[in-house]
Amino acid sequence: MTCDTSTAGCGLEKLESLSDDSITEISENWNGFCSSSEALLKGSGDLSFSDEFVMRAKNLCKHGLSSLVEQHFLRCIEEIFERNGAKRFWSYFEPYRNAAPSETNKDLMQILEEEIQQVICKALEEISSQKQFQEKCLLLLARALQSYEKDKLQGQANPDSTRVYLFSKYQLIVSSVLLASLPHHFPGILHWYFKGRLEELSTIAAANFEDEEELGMDDKMDLDEKSKLPYKCGDLDSDINHKYAVFSENNKLVKNIGMVVRNLRNIGFTSMAEDAYASAIFFLLKDKVHDLAGDDYRNSVLESIKAWIQAVPLQFLRALLDYLGDFTSCNDPSPGLKSPLASHPSLCYSGTGIPSEGLVRWQLRLEYYAYETLQDLRIAKLFEIIVDYPDSAPAIEDLKHCLEYTGQHSKLVDSFISSLRYRLLTAGASTNDILHQYVSTIKALRTIDPAGVFLEAVGEPIREYLRGRKDTIKCIVTMLTDGTGGNPNGPGSSGDSLLEELNRDEESQENTTVDDDINSDERQAWINAQNWEPDPVEADPSKGSRYRRKVDILGMIVGIIGSKDQLVNEYRVMLAEKLLNKSDYDIDAEIRTLELLKIHFGESSMQKCEIMLNDLIDSKRTNTNIKATIKHQPQPEQRDLDVSLENLNATIISSNFWPPIQDEAVNLPEPVEQLLNDYAKRYTEVKTPRKLIWKKNLGSVKLELQFEDRAMQFNVTPLHASIIMQFQDQKKWTSKNLAAAVGVPVDVLNRRINFWISKGVLAESMGADSADHTLTLVENMNDTGKSGPIDGGCEELLAGEDDGERSDASVEDQLRKEMTVYEKFITGMLTNFGSMALDRIHNTLKMFCIADPTYDKSLQQLQSFLSGLVAEEKLEFRDGMYFLKK
Amino acid sequence: MATMNSGNNSNTPATAAPVMPSPKQTQTTAKTVDTQSVLKRLQSELMALMMSGDSGISAFPEEDNIFCWKGTITGSKDTVFEGTEYKLSLSFPADYPFKPPKVKFETGCFHPNVDVYGNICLDILQDKWSSAYDVRTILISIQSLLGEPNISSPLNTQAAALWCNQEGNSLSFLNTGRWLRSYTSLVCS
Repeated sequence: MTCDTSTAGCGLEKLESLSDDSITEISENWNGFCSSSEALLKGSGDLSFSDEFVMRAKNLCKHGLSSLVEQHFLRCIEEIFERNGAKRFWSYFEPYRNAAPSETNKDLMQILEEEIQQVICKALEEISSQKQFQEKCLLLLARALQSYEKDKLQGQANPDSTRVYLFSKYQLIVSSVLLASLPHHFPGILHWYFKGRLEELSTIAAANFEDEEELGMDDKMDLDEKSKLPYKCGDLDSDINHKYAVFSENNKLVKNIGMVVRNLRNIGFTSMAEDAYASAIFFLLKDKVHDLAGDDYRNSVLESIKAWIQAVPLQFLRALLDYLGDFTSCNDPSPGLKSPLASHPSLCYSGTGIPSEGLVRWQLRLEYYAYETLQDLRIAKLFEIIVDYPDSAPAIEDLKHCLEYTGQHSKLVDSFISSLRYRLLTAGASTNDILHQYVSTIKALRTIDPAGVFLEAVGEPIREYLRGRKDTIKCIVTMLTDGTGGNPNGPGSSGDSLLEELNRDEESQENTTVDDDINSDERQAWINAQNWEPDPVEADPSKGSRYRRKVDILGMIVGIIGSKDQLVNEYRVMLAEKLLNKSDYDIDAEIRTLELLKIHFGESSMQKCEIMLNDLIDSKRTNTNIKATIKHQPQPEQRDLDVSLENLNATIISSNFWPPIQDEAVNLPEPVEQLLNDYAKRYTEVKTPRKLIWKKNLGSVKLELQFEDRAMQFNVTPLHASIIMQFQDQKKWTSKNLAAAVGVPVDVLNRRINFWISKGVLAESMGADSADHTLTLVENMNDTGKSGPIDGGCEELLAGEDDGERSDASVEDQLRKEMTVYEKFITGMLTNFGSMALDRIHNTLKMFCIADPTYDKSLQQLQSFLSGLVAEEKLEFRDGMYFLKK
Repeated sequence: MATMNSGNNSNTPATAAPVMPSPKQTQTTAKTVDTQSVLKRLQSELMALMMSGDSGISAFPEEDNIFCWKGTITGSKDTVFEGTEYKLSLSFPADYPFKPPKVKFETGCFHPNVDVYGNICLDILQDKWSSAYDVRTILISIQSLLGEPNISSPLNTQAAALWCNQEGNSLSFLNTGRWLRSYTSLVCS
């Protein structure tokens, strides 16, 4: 009875005026009230004390002690609730304090989960029933107070106000008591519980889903695709109604969950419950997205994810809100306590076909979350996706939709660039692979972002890196022209795709030329104007507007090199090599490639290449003409060797238009030499003012070697052929003598001779002089212990296998030659201007060095060249200026 | 032979075709083509000069104007000017090479045929000019003029007088020249 001493102070003045009688009455009533209220509250459902309780309370109120009564009673309730209800409630969860969901022991978890499920239900039921009982008691008090007040005020006041006030006070007590003693593992348990329930629900729904799909299949066999689509987004209402019916099967489960949620709300855990099931739903959604999307990029998963959202979480929420709505709409306990996240239950779906606002909000949240999850997943794997690009197009399409929704393009750019740096732009990656990836990236990102803004950002590191590689140009040209892509183990033949790209360009050009009248132009302009969209915010304003950024794969590839001239040059070199190694005049493929290149690079820049091809065509004709002259006047004296003009095919080139050709002296065998002279003579006869100058080291020779026991066929360079010819008369040569006979330096000979040694035709043995080897012809396979790698078949080994054997000067040589010209220019300008900065040298070269060879180097190339000159002590570099070294 | 002829015949129109449009162009833009050809000429002269590798002479267009060149001449061996570097400026008229370029010494040059302002008295730069000359030949001529002045028509009479009284004492001539040069630059400024 501590409270009455404290309350005594409050009514001190009143106390003075009280008579002894009333004091005894009050104290009697008070004692009675205390004991009866205690008995009532502890009575657990027994309301026998209610009459006395009400009577005592009324009496006390008469003496103006209503607030005391109220306070005392609430305090009693709180104490009892704390002692019995809360403690009991939490003790249920005590055993699971350390139980957290873990993957290691599934069976145990299963059991634990079921246990928890039961425990939660039980505990909540119990505490709810206790709460209900206490509410009943509270109602008694409220009635007593109310009836007193009614008497006093003659029913003027709102009769319900006391009740509402008391109940809200009580609700506050309950939730504060529970929250004050909340064990920290309880939210986890709740989350776990909801997750378990939702998973269960999801499996049921999935089963239904499949059934339905089968049903649908029966109904509309060929409308399969169509039936899926509206089913996902189209007529929502009928669909939902149907679904609802199906869903009622698991109504029990939902009801169960609903009960738990309602009980949780009842004891003031509204927001905690919301959090728990929201996080469980998101968790499940994430799992589902990962499960569906996974590492499979060949299928679009977005629609199925959306469908799943419709089918499982939304159905669940609908049912849940529906269920809660039935209960809460009549006596909403505490609307003020709901979390802002919570959808308002009174707005819930009422079967009229209009999804409630809360549900729509949920749907949007879930979809956004799904988009974001999928986007993150895809972005993280973008590198792999792009690696198998044409196959992974659906994944790219998905990503595009996601990004449209979330707008997190910059995330894509950052993550992709870092993965590029880490995985692609390393020394270990071959230039071919990098180029293929670059092309795929262009194609893939073009779908995501047609304006090419992000592509520019992503492509820059790749371009930067490729510029630093020496073989980039070569690889690009190979990719462009070679159907096999120059990379036999690469995925597919991506070289085709580039040519295909060229083809497409060709087609589109044709299309534009067909309807190139003003009318369509205007229309096109109007369409363009209507389709105008502002650049994405990430766009770099310095890069100009979007029409300049039109994505063009070839353009972007040429952009790596910097100028098309370099590319054309390299192509010319490669073409020359290819043409020179041809033994027939079949150049259809090359002509086709050239035509395509012409479309892109312009007629004039490909002129030299065209002349080269024309040379081949002319050669063919000339060749036939010369052969024809032999038929007219056969020369019988040449028959001793079975090499005749018939076997000789010449490629006549206009050397001015061909890339510089390596000249290497070689002594051809006498009969062949004669033959060549003869041919040249006839050529002069046919094309009078012109003369043939033979490049004897070029071309290819088809020859058959006959040994004692075998015959072998080869396709080799003239040098190889003339080496082996020397062995026709003399079976043993020292390398020095042989080199002299063939007319090449010994080291060149040694390099070439390896070919024959590896074929088992020649054998090498050390002579007395270590630099002078002895070479012997292996006439009989059985003589030597080792059996040759080949046995007489047709051996195709074209020249150009080992390095340094390219028939024309390599690009580096050409570059060096160009650079010497630049060196002279640089010396010239430095003599006259004293000192110059890098920029100025670069600009001056660009301005004045425009004849052949045109200056087309980048600033970086010039810088490295200049530092080379500094290293050679030709120049000096001080304070950012270059000087001539005096 | 018949086949070849036909081949030739078929070739001729093909080569002739691209030539056709060019005269039309020249007619319409005769003026620009004119400067174009000057540019081209200067361009090729620059290229020739750069590739020639003559020692002691050099020239290069200034910044962005190919009509204005800077030149450098080093006095040739066994003359009093040996080892001395002279800067020149060359400015080409718009109708080059039909008119000679204006060539001046930028560095003061004490020489009978060079006045204190750097003007040069050289016949090929005036009445003896021919379009066959080019930058390279001009520079070579000036270089040789240094060693062999034309005393008969001096611009700098002082220098001419000194040159005649030189008596093999080349040092004194140049020293006077140096002194005079600093003197003239003092006067000019």
